Amino acid sequence: MNRKKQPEPVDVVIVGAGAGGATAAKVLSEAGLKVVGLERGPWLKPEHASGDELKFLNRNFIWQDPKIKPRTYRPNDREEAVVTNFSATPQVVGGGTTHWGGMVPRMAESDFKLRSLHGDVPGASLVDWPITYDELEPYYTRVEWEFGTSGLAGANKWEAWRSRGYPTKPSPLSQIGRTFATAMAKLGHSTFPMPQGMVTEPYRGREPFSENGFWQQYPDPGSGKSSTLISFIPDAIATGNYDLRPDCYVSEILVGKDGKATGVRYQDEDGDEFVQYGKAVIVCGGGIETPRLLLMSKSALFPDGLGNGSGMVGKNATFHQYSFSVGLFDREVSDPLYGWAGHYMSLCSFDFYETDESRGHILGSLIFPSMIGHPVNWSFPGRPTWGQAAKDADREFFNHSMKIGILLHDLPVEENRVDLDPTVRDAWGLPVARITHTPHANDFAQERWQVRKNGEILEAAGAKKVIPVNMERITGNTSHELGTTRMGNDPATSVVDRWCRSHEVPNLYVFDASFFPTATGINPALTIMANAWRCADRILHVDRHGWTED
Amino acid sequence: MGQAEWVTVPISTRDVDGPIFFTAHEWDTIEAATARIIPTDHHPGAREAHVVRFIDRMLAGTQFIFPAADGVGWLRMEGLEERAWQERIEQRRRFYREGIVELDRLGQERAGAPFVELSEADQDAVLEQLSRAEKPAVYSLDADDVGLGGAPAGNQPVNEDFLEFFPLLVLNTRQGFYGDPVYGGNENRIGWGVIGFDGPPSLAATMDGSYTTRTYMVEGAEWPYDQHPEVLRYRRP
Repeated sequence: MNRKKQPEPVDVVIVGAGAGGATAAKVLSEAGLKVVGLERGPWLKPEHASGDELKFLNRNFIWQDPKIKPRTYRPNDREEAVVTNFSATPQVVGGGTTHWGGMVPRMAESDFKLRSLHGDVPGASLVDWPITYDELEPYYTRVEWEFGTSGLAGANKWEAWRSRGYPTKPSPLSQIGRTFATAMAKLGHSTFPMPQGMVTEPYRGREPFSENGFWQQYPDPGSGKSSTLISFIPDAIATGNYDLRPDCYVSEILVGKDGKATGVRYQDEDGDEFVQYGKAVIVCGGGIETPRLLLMSKSALFPDGLGNGSGMVGKNATFHQYSFSVGLFDREVSDPLYGWAGHYMSLCSFDFYETDESRGHILGSLIFPSMIGHPVNWSFPGRPTWGQAAKDADREFFNHSMKIGILLHDLPVEENRVDLDPTVRDAWGLPVARITHTPHANDFAQERWQVRKNGEILEAAGAKKVIPVNMERITGNTSHELGTTRMGNDPATSVVDRWCRSHEVPNLYVFDASFFPTATGINPALTIMANAWRCADRILHVDRHGWTED
Repeated sequence: MGQAEWVTVPISTRDVDGPIFFTAHEWDTIEAATARIIPTDHHPGAREAHVVRFIDRMLAGTQFIFPAADGVGWLRMEGLEERAWQERIEQRRRFYREGIVELDRLGQERAGAPFVELSEADQDAVLEQLSRAEKPAVYSLDADDVGLGGAPAGNQPVNEDFLEFFPLLVLNTRQGFYGDPVYGGNENRIGWGVIGFDGPPSLAATMDGSYTTRTYMVEGAEWPYDQHPEVLRYRRP
């Protein structure tokens, strides 16, 4: 018998406290709704962070341990899935916004209407988004100002209209940024300061980043990096209406006889089980854990998983892929690049984002330069691994190397999906997520072309050797998990409606990146937050008035 | 207790000089092997950085897995995370114990002596045999020859659970040479000095804002488009 008390029912239960869950918590709790947040990971604070490469990159302090939380991957249905740490993403309060580099560009207007622009692409399930840029724009602006961002509005000539600039100025330029900008200018291309989830001036009680160099993959011990951990979650807690419970693992969403969600079943850190009832449930576990939870939530009414009458839960998964070219520079000729100085990213370009069919493929990605790693994990293909040659190479190139990367704008394919692995279980005895994924031919064409182009830019920058790093498959190395509960108007081909509400369960919502109908070629967090705010507003203005007390 | 509540234990990887896990012979053998992986030349190498101490502490148990954020003391792991690390350390201990036996066997076979007593050339030959590949040749920007090093992980977490003994030893040697000194290696930050990484004087200095890399950036850079009409539209008053 459980000694702890069962929790009181609330208005809204939010599963997950990352980009989507924390935004929803802020908006709903500030409007007076009683909200419980259940996050399966710990509530680490800024004082748990420091510039420790081994801790955060090699010993995985904030990433899921694959021994406890494994996932499996297979390229297609004919092959056996193997255990892999596919799409590692921090499962902590703050989610992906804790480790991230904080790239916050907006979607292009074209991203909302790829089906209209490109028609039926064979082998892909391309669709238009059921919403437009104009509907999302006010929320982009709200998030940029409430969350804390930096950038130079108007400098990206490819960007759509915006109602307001950024709250803080662009972050300082790194040597790598300067090298990139110089080469791009030489080739006749444009660059602009990367829009960043960071404050570069005192803002809303926060101080700028110390520029200690430990940025991408490192939580910030200060308040410069914008994460929901230090912005939206404190905002929500301050209302007194948000009860955030870390280390609480939700295993099932419960439904009543009327087919509505009644709450969730979860275990706390001691393994004690509870049921949290609410008038609505918002799932924000990420594009892999969210479909997994829906598929685990089987009942008589929903034998194939919750909200899965269409069979579409988990399908059309896209993951982006980070690929790049590495450039090695001659230290006798080139100034040091000091890639470890600053905060990993500095500038970017959208010149290759829009489709140009003369390239032999459709779609495109933003590109951006960065270092190739801190001292331990710094590497390049062909690097000598031991002996005098290894030491010489480290000495020659550690400060004379950089890369220019892409975020693959991958096409949705219905068979690419997340489902439950039939045999592998996690440390709690529950079936783990199985990823089935083979890239579309256009993904390979786009990736090869852009990586080669990035190599040309490195050559223009003076690199003496350029090494392309191309994908063989998609590995989930961006921590972007998209598309698995597709948003759409047609219940037969999508899982949630234009308000990210389940077509089948009227008080069940998905506010993480699972809703993305297509992948986009940019980092998704800003769009997740803007969309979560938009849909939370809808709950406040419309849906909650229909909730019953039972 | 969840990870956020793990307590800090006031211990250091330098509390004792010698081995905690290894026997004296194992310590000497691994020290000699790391000194061939990152040799001493006009700059210090793995031996001077005390990389063997780093490896010994990693194998000693879960007490030296996660330092406190400021580098003073170590987190006492608990729960599922600790059990996973126990399993991981067990596996690595086996690799090291068996690997050392194999180094000695190959040494006896080649020169009639345990690994630690071999000449540097013979030690290299044993490592070549163990790795089933030739020792990497000098890297040149002009040559097409490539070494075995892989692409950077794209700054994603690195998983070494799937490595066998030799690549694990090579990676751990790098970690001990280039990781933060609190882990027991990189003595006096000499690993960073070798490659020109002006790293933090302490982990605490990365937390309080006293360590910054701004001097290596382009301070006060003016954006070429600062005065562009499209940018001026959004200029804040």
